[in-house]
Amino acid sequence: MEHHSQTKSSALGQGVVIFVYLAVLSVLEYFVAVAFDAVPLLVVVAIIKAALVMYYYMHVYKLNQEENEDEDRESYEYKTATNRIGLWLFLLSDGFVFAGLLVTRSNLLGLTRPPLNQILGLAVTAVLLISSFFMNRGETAMAYGDRKAFMNNTLVTFVLGLGFLIGVVFVEWGLARAEGLVPSFGDPTRGPIGGVFYMMTGMHAFHVLTGLIFLGVVWNNARKGVYTAEKHWGVEAAAVYWHFVDLVWIFFYPALYLIGTAVK
Amino acid sequence: MKRFFSSALARGLFWQLIGTLVGAGIVTGIRPLLGMNALDTFFFTEPAWVLGGFFGTLFFLAGSGAVSDWFKWSRGIDTPDHHEDHNTGWAKYVNVSLDHKVIGVQYTVTALLLIGIGGLFALIFRTELAASQLQFLTYEMKLFSQSGPQLYNTLMSLHGMIMIVSILLGTAGFINYVVPLLLGAQDMAFPRLNAFSFWIAVPAAVLLLMSLFLGGFDTGWTGYPPLSTRAPVGMQMFFLGVFVAGWSSILGSLNVIVTVLRMRAKGMTAWRMPILVWAAVATALIALTATQLIGLSFQLVMFQRLFGMGFFDPAKGGNPVLFQHLFWFYSHPAVYVFILPGLGVISELLPVFVRKPLFGYRWIAMSSLGIALVGFVVWAHHMYTSGMNEYLRVPFMYSTLLVAVPTGVKFFSWVATIWKGKISTPTPMLFVLGGIIVFLLGGLSGPPNATVSTDLQLQDTYWIVGHFHDTIFGGFMFPFFAAIYYWFPKATGRRMNETLGKIHFWMMTPSFFVLTFGMMYVGLLGMRRRIVDYDPALGIDTAHLVMTIAAFLIALSVLIFFYNFFASIRNGEKAEGNLWNSRSPEWQVPSPMAAHNYEKPLEVVGEPYDYGLKDSGYVRFIEPAQNKHN
Repeated sequence: MEHHSQTKSSALGQGVVIFVYLAVLSVLEYFVAVAFDAVPLLVVVAIIKAALVMYYYMHVYKLNQEENEDEDRESYEYKTATNRIGLWLFLLSDGFVFAGLLVTRSNLLGLTRPPLNQILGLAVTAVLLISSFFMNRGETAMAYGDRKAFMNNTLVTFVLGLGFLIGVVFVEWGLARAEGLVPSFGDPTRGPIGGVFYMMTGMHAFHVLTGLIFLGVVWNNARKGVYTAEKHWGVEAAAVYWHFVDLVWIFFYPALYLIGTAVK
Repeated sequence: MKRFFSSALARGLFWQLIGTLVGAGIVTGIRPLLGMNALDTFFFTEPAWVLGGFFGTLFFLAGSGAVSDWFKWSRGIDTPDHHEDHNTGWAKYVNVSLDHKVIGVQYTVTALLLIGIGGLFALIFRTELAASQLQFLTYEMKLFSQSGPQLYNTLMSLHGMIMIVSILLGTAGFINYVVPLLLGAQDMAFPRLNAFSFWIAVPAAVLLLMSLFLGGFDTGWTGYPPLSTRAPVGMQMFFLGVFVAGWSSILGSLNVIVTVLRMRAKGMTAWRMPILVWAAVATALIALTATQLIGLSFQLVMFQRLFGMGFFDPAKGGNPVLFQHLFWFYSHPAVYVFILPGLGVISELLPVFVRKPLFGYRWIAMSSLGIALVGFVVWAHHMYTSGMNEYLRVPFMYSTLLVAVPTGVKFFSWVATIWKGKISTPTPMLFVLGGIIVFLLGGLSGPPNATVSTDLQLQDTYWIVGHFHDTIFGGFMFPFFAAIYYWFPKATGRRMNETLGKIHFWMMTPSFFVLTFGMMYVGLLGMRRRIVDYDPALGIDTAHLVMTIAAFLIALSVLIFFYNFFASIRNGEKAEGNLWNSRSPEWQVPSPMAAHNYEKPLEVVGEPYDYGLKDSGYVRFIEPAQNKHN
């Protein structure tokens, strides 16, 4: 039996509070970027947002469990704790790809950014953030054995995630192409903007896509009644992965839409 | 034969072929619709080959059955934790098995196969270098639509990467086989991921070899742009192959770390872990994280070639030096991925054969981690002449020289362990000692390359080639052979022939010294790396001839090893007990071991390397009855 340190309503309430924090920080970030040219401040805001997501939505503290030598290693709890370490190591590894892309971006473009519509950027960011909120509600519901609520919330998450994907791959890419920002676009003074833009958004979109597939799989399994309040590692993994995709965007969004001046 | 054709390996390769055709077909079908050419020099166009290579990998994995349990899980179907393995004999090793011991052997044999191929490539271009002027790789000859010199470039480049992949698989082999045994675990933490990590390496090797037939590539294993943006289609297969092999390394490392964190026997605290486990963890930390950066850098070049993205194209504002930063961020730490497991094997075996405690156990454990961590901040010492910002040179010089400190710790410990020991020298011990000496030479020839002022002269000379062959042979090849001779009886219940083993050692080691000293010597006299011909006026023809003879002697000794290896599986002298008189848990039970390792759980009650101390046990097995009372 999983030990719950808080009641269901307080867990759900916490999700709301964290969502409000994240939303306020995102808006603040946006206006800071539009009004001033304060890159360090944007970095600080992104780190705070990332910390909130990692702690309250991804529950990174669960990694730090008391070791007990006499624990039954064949038990579901022990295996889940093992799986959790594996998943986080995978995310750590994956994080190096995105860190590498951020390094690439700052090396090649510096304090300039691609000529993108900042309002559209804020809109897709909001969609992804709201999807994270519903993911948290879904996972919390499953942890308390509420399968129906899990499925509903996951469905909302899925739809919002799909909306983000469409917003980036069809709307944003479509607009960019229409304005001549094709993958091969770039020149010695402005840098390889097309390459950086499509590579960063494309790599992230690929992870969104895999996250959506993952969500579809756990939703379908929940429909079949595979998960219970005690045994739902698949749900936890899908949720943590989904929040990770959001976590990456917390850094990619300012790097693409907010930092520096847009090149013409 | 029927058993082979129905094996996972054969099915996987068949489906890889189908997948390649499907992927290439899709692109070939779409291109004319967009008004582009459908076919090209190598039948398919470059994008078609890339998608084909990618699809081929996916089809291989699906077709071999390496992912079928995961597919079942995704449909909500539970599968048993462990599968009974119905295959017997060699068939066990060409089918998907979840047993870490089988996977360890699969890795090892694949690594040996690749070492054979990579070595063969080396012999071909080494023979060409035996004298100045072009001998047989001439401009007139054509093979795989490449002229002789281009073929030289391809073989030289493939030698590098195939050997690197074989090292990754070889270290994964003995780590996979031995680490769970050392921990007293039943298996790795994630058996399916373990099988996946091995099986994904097979299509990767196929992709690498495909590059030979698709025009090859002339960049060396580093694949620097701008040259790599202009090389033939083979370049893309190389990038894709390395990318896929990288996943094998990443996921295998993940498994090792989790296994060590979660599967240790009772009482095995961090400071009582066998030293090889420490080395495996240090290695895994690098491979888990840094590997992504070589994958990324190669992907960026692939996309630059496919979509005209301008990352490394100065005409589009790109920066070729950025590639080198991303690339070396992995590829320097990678050399520690190659050597740390080997150095771990040296530290693991040395106490057994000198019957003395390992000197400075904690220092060695920490030195592995130290090398791994310092290794993350030294990459730009490969780039002193690249045109990177000059102020970066000196910090990277100092951080690089710092690596000598933890490495020195290891040498002091080894020397102190050997000191006044009761040394016996069966074949594994010979290779351990050989490894120490060869690695010392590799280490000593390192600081001149780390130091900016001297490196500006040495960059891209054969001196460097000599240096890294010393480090890789000392840090990987010798310990790898030692590990095989040492744990072969564990895996098969038979030991390899001692006489042949000694011939292998005494033929290979002196030849190797001749070869690498020769490399350094001609390098200092002006021989450049990666070049098919050299000026007779340099006066190094004789040296090259001697080096070529030495290379053939090494190849002969490795052939003897291969014969010994495969012949001993059936005909080796029986050795089912504690052959080396080791304290390690895996030797306390008969060989070969059953599917889930130890019948009774074990408990660590002492220090791992207290050889020669009276009444000092390392492990004891927990009797079932006693277990009940606790």
